[in-house]
Amino acid sequence: MDYPTRFDVLVIGGGHAGTEAALAAARMGCKTLLLTHNVETLGQMSCNPAIGGIGKSHLVREVDALGGAMARATDRGGIQFRVLNARKGPAVRATRAQADRVLYKAAIRHILENQPNLQIFQQAVDDLIVQGDQVKGVVTQSGIRFYATSVVLTAGTFLGGLIHIGLQNHAGGRAGDPPSIALAQRLRELPLRVGRLKTGTPPRIDARSIDFSGMEAQPSDDPIPVMSFLGQPEEHPEQVSCYITHTNERTHEIIRNNLDRSPMYSGVIEGIGPRYCPSIEDKIHRFADKNSHQVFLEPEGLTTHEIYPNGISTSLPFDVQLDLVRSIRGMEQAHITRPGYAIEYDYFNPQDLQPTLETKVIHNLFFAGQINGTTGYEEAAAQGLLAGLNAGLRAQEKEGWCPRRDEAYIGVLVDDLITLGTSEPYRMFTSRAEYRLLLREDNADLRLTEKGRELGLVDDQRWAAFEAKREGIEREMARLKDTFVHPGTASAETLNDKLSQPLSREQTLLDLLRRPELEYWDLAHLAPGELPNDPQVQEQVQIQTKYAGYIERQAQDIERVRRQEETLLPANLDYSRVDGLSNEIRNKLSGIRPATLAQASRIPGVTPAAISMLLIHLKKRDLVAKQA
Amino acid sequence: MNHQDTITAIATPPGRGGVGIVRVSGPLCGEIAKSFLGHQPKPRYAHFGPFYDLQGQVIDEGIALFFPGPNSFTGEDVLEFQGHGGPMLLDRLLENLLLVGARLALPGEFSQRAFLNDKLDLTQAEAIADLIDASSRQAAENALKSLQGVFSSKVHELVEQLTQLRIYVEAAIDFPEEEIDFISDGHVSQQLFTIQQQLSAIRNEARQGCLLRDGMNVVLAGRPNAGKSSLLNALAGQERALVTDIAGTTRDVLKEHIHIDGMPLHIIDTAGLRETEDLVEKLGVERAWQEIEKADRILLLVDAQTTESLDPYQIWPEFVARLPHPERLTLVRNKIDLSGETETCDLSTTPPVIRISAKKKQGVDNLRQHLKQVMGFQNTTEGGFSARRRHLDALQRADEIIAAGYQQLELHGAGELLAEDLRQAQEILGEITGAFSADDLLGRIFGEFCIGK
Repeated sequence: MDYPTRFDVLVIGGGHAGTEAALAAARMGCKTLLLTHNVETLGQMSCNPAIGGIGKSHLVREVDALGGAMARATDRGGIQFRVLNARKGPAVRATRAQADRVLYKAAIRHILENQPNLQIFQQAVDDLIVQGDQVKGVVTQSGIRFYATSVVLTAGTFLGGLIHIGLQNHAGGRAGDPPSIALAQRLRELPLRVGRLKTGTPPRIDARSIDFSGMEAQPSDDPIPVMSFLGQPEEHPEQVSCYITHTNERTHEIIRNNLDRSPMYSGVIEGIGPRYCPSIEDKIHRFADKNSHQVFLEPEGLTTHEIYPNGISTSLPFDVQLDLVRSIRGMEQAHITRPGYAIEYDYFNPQDLQPTLETKVIHNLFFAGQINGTTGYEEAAAQGLLAGLNAGLRAQEKEGWCPRRDEAYIGVLVDDLITLGTSEPYRMFTSRAEYRLLLREDNADLRLTEKGRELGLVDDQRWAAFEAKREGIEREMARLKDTFVHPGTASAETLNDKLSQPLSREQTLLDLLRRPELEYWDLAHLAPGELPNDPQVQEQVQIQTKYAGYIERQAQDIERVRRQEETLLPANLDYSRVDGLSNEIRNKLSGIRPATLAQASRIPGVTPAAISMLLIHLKKRDLVAKQA
Repeated sequence: MNHQDTITAIATPPGRGGVGIVRVSGPLCGEIAKSFLGHQPKPRYAHFGPFYDLQGQVIDEGIALFFPGPNSFTGEDVLEFQGHGGPMLLDRLLENLLLVGARLALPGEFSQRAFLNDKLDLTQAEAIADLIDASSRQAAENALKSLQGVFSSKVHELVEQLTQLRIYVEAAIDFPEEEIDFISDGHVSQQLFTIQQQLSAIRNEARQGCLLRDGMNVVLAGRPNAGKSSLLNALAGQERALVTDIAGTTRDVLKEHIHIDGMPLHIIDTAGLRETEDLVEKLGVERAWQEIEKADRILLLVDAQTTESLDPYQIWPEFVARLPHPERLTLVRNKIDLSGETETCDLSTTPPVIRISAKKKQGVDNLRQHLKQVMGFQNTTEGGFSARRRHLDALQRADEIIAAGYQQLELHGAGELLAEDLRQAQEILGEITGAFSADDLLGRIFGEFCIGK
């Protein structure tokens, strides 16, 4: 049947990408439908029960700054919070939370069910309705046809999913869920480049069978951090500790003796796994000289005894899994509740996408999450939000939007994917961001919330909080800038204790704050007037002032490439007609079809000379157009 | 169109003698004029006077011209220094311009800006594409040439050490569970110190000019009586150039340093290339072959009266057979005054054939042009000197940034700022050794550390 209501945006999949996509479109006022094969698994954390971490929390905070759900759900479901790199400077600081699966899922479900303009429907999607080069809707398993202006596909690992345990394998989307075979076959018929990737999980363990007494406990930080800009520590449920143990020589021997029974080493798995998240058999094979590896025991929740032993992801047969787990200190009596497995799945070459995450060949069809070759909840959520908002913009007949590399990690993520493609599951790291000092966890709202408000993603509550914070920062900066400290005064004396060279001429407090020896708290009380009571304001004044020199330098770099960022390359540009390009560069450009001159310049092998040629070619086309 | 940065380059083909022009285009021109000329020049007026460096020393004397935009070649403010053509003088001028904030123009960039600012029409644009294509190819070749030998291995070693350091620092940032305390464990600090020292050693060497004095190695090969000495004199004598013999004994390789239009050239005579039982002489022959194998160009000189052949293999088979790069051969038929051939220069054949009479000085100019061309100093401004200036400029910028990073680490313990400085330094040195991407870095990290829980 044809479903009687027509939607603006259809979202297929209810994982981290799908939920953020549906929420974003609905927040913008688009009539949105979220299609999932199982309402009970909306917001499911299918891998380890943790959110955030280096580079990833940056994405979560950006999603939050644009009104997304992930950070708020983490604050409500998080049972252990830590700030990583706390001593390494604010740009590389990252919040990481262990989340109770049940509480997290409930928080997401609550946000979804209370979102105006959003409806949820449970049914697997089998087909896309494509007319010409445009998507029109989807067909579900039982033949219901839903029509919409734009469709966002977030099928995760479900497309052609194949689960491996030892040398046995079976079709599956993740443990316990069926794969999407019909949809995968349908998508393989479209002119999109498909590849196979692989990822894995460790066996889960019953905490009651673990002896934690000899292990190092890792509790939450004090004070307890929050993930969302609107978050409060009071929202957090009860906090619990993680534990650290290690593999040993015996563990390694067990694995070495059974490598021939690993689907990875016997050639059964063809997909490529991530280098930064290797299986335990991979670690032992590749780093043979290391005789111990860390295992991080993460509690799955407050109402379950299940433990996620991070660090021993494996696809070895179950009998070997049991042996290797029991060889680890404290786990001698361990009971495995679910075996570990590796999963292979289809992904689409993200070089076939535009910066808005719309496919280049099928209009109004957007891809987000693991099907684009990424891994991680945070990477998925970030893409989901971007795809959802662009699907919404399309439905509203507005221009698409994607942040630049200097504006957000979301921009880095998307630009890396569409420019470079990926040969392994792509994960965010701070070293991928050349503007790392600008793209901090602490200023994601200052970078993005205003844009989010303009796009209709940010509600009044968040906007009011943001405006108050922004004004607070301006006021506090002005207060410090207007206060001079003169040598010889009492104020100067208090500061001289901390300075390597005593104050020799009058200076403003803001200038003094730029000195590495001084912190905000050393001088904030020396200025007349009220201190700001928002700790986020105080933090921003401190960080922005400390980084000022580097921020100026990066701002100059950004300015230098701005014109290239703003120079659009026509989608139909015939690269064979651009004079002076080598065939190699022509092929690269026609294969990737960069959206801007700047993106073209980031393609490996594209030389500055080639960029000059492109610029001249564009200008020539302009002239021709004007003369005609 | 408003371009942010100011670009500069030597605008005359280096080594052509007479006048050498350094051109500057962009917003800094006015400031530069005041500082380098000592006064504000009148627009479109030829000022004769000294050019000063940043210390107020006179670099050269000549004519300066200032064209305020948009009434200039590029449509931006343009400043031209027309001085004496010597490559060393021009290079010093360029060096000082870089210090005040101009950057070296990319190949063809002046013309590109002119076109983008509507100073050239569509038909001229075709030529620009060709110019950029040709000159960037040549720049790449020259950069490669400049990067041969000791300089190259030192720069590569430096970049590798920087990479090692970045692997360590970035791994510490992105993988805190590895528990690398790079701020206080001394490892980084010590490596940074070593890198700084190496960098300044390379820069010192470069500053002393030995890199700039490097020239092209040309081997003059031929059987006895082909006329090698006459040719050498003809080439060298024309410019009253310095002819020195640095070889110790006659059995050693005979290396002569001459200049063609101010460009250095080392000519290696292969007099002693013959089969011999004499041990000492054998050593000399081996050394000569080592030079030949390194040569940028081999002039095979033949007495035009002895053969009509244009095939080097027929002329001297045992010599040609041993050449590692036969494509570097140029056949020079000498003594055409006696053979009755006419003075010609055919560069389209393989090998190129040039007919001369060294004694009568016929066709020698053709040969000089040919040598200049293979040196990369013809027609375009992107010569070997510019390539080296680019490298020196990159080294200088990297040095400054690494010094800043060292401060951040040592005085302030700011690891993430050090990381940023190291990233910038590597990006700059990448201009010499090729780009090193974030993904390359991650690949190295995953190769060295067992990452991942």
